[in-house]
Amino acid sequence: MRPEAMARHQGGMWPWLMQRVTAVLVFVTMAIHLTATHILNIGDLSYNNIAGRLAHGGMAVVDFTLLAAVLFHALNGVRMVWLDYSLAGSGRRVVDVSFWIIGVAAFFYGAWALWPWVTG
Amino acid sequence: MSLKDRETANVGAGLWKGTGMWAWILFRISGLVLALYLFVHMWVISQGRASGAHRLNHIFNMFDKPLFVFLDLMLVAAVLYHALNGVRIILMDLGVGIRSHKTVFWVLMTVAALILAVFVTVAFPHIF
Repeated sequence: MRPEAMARHQGGMWPWLMQRVTAVLVFVTMAIHLTATHILNIGDLSYNNIAGRLAHGGMAVVDFTLLAAVLFHALNGVRMVWLDYSLAGSGRRVVDVSFWIIGVAAFFYGAWALWPWVTG
Repeated sequence: MSLKDRETANVGAGLWKGTGMWAWILFRISGLVLALYLFVHMWVISQGRASGAHRLNHIFNMFDKPLFVFLDLMLVAAVLYHALNGVRIILMDLGVGIRSHKTVFWVLMTVAALILAVFVTVAFPHIF
């Protein structure tokens, strides 16, 4: 395998695959998210406007899927940049665990923030 | 020159030139900007629960100012670039269109520009 092809896999096979899976999920859900906020409701964004949208179960599923997928995609992306500028090995496990803690905490924070709108 | 030397020597030459290099640099920059924005966005929206509807609506009123609508369009542009160049990367991973990757890139960038034009058209009355 060529060196540059191998370098792509230094982040690990599962993160590499998950980055593609979440990319597709983010692509679809963010398209819906941005169409709803920036095309259909432009100029009307407010607390009640969000409430009206998230009251529909379908939009809640879209936004929670987006929240989980985009957090993984963003944090793993930053992790890949970090790996490019660090010598893999010492401390890597600590960084991986730290990214997971940040991601899970951010998901629950986001879910906490959206919950009153979802439950109405 | 041995085979290994040539492969090693070719790494920089293959990656750091032309369309592919700029596509990669912009992909990385847009990714980092969007990752940073994600957390800003989550903090802003969370003000609805943390500080109440009034506080959140106050922040949204600020976002209606022309400068923020313009910055928002820059974010949409970053999302579209990152998303459409990401499509190209997945196509390359699947082995689709590797020999014509530059054409694939510019076709996807045209699609990105057209979608951006829709967002700009809709946002235009809110800037001026």
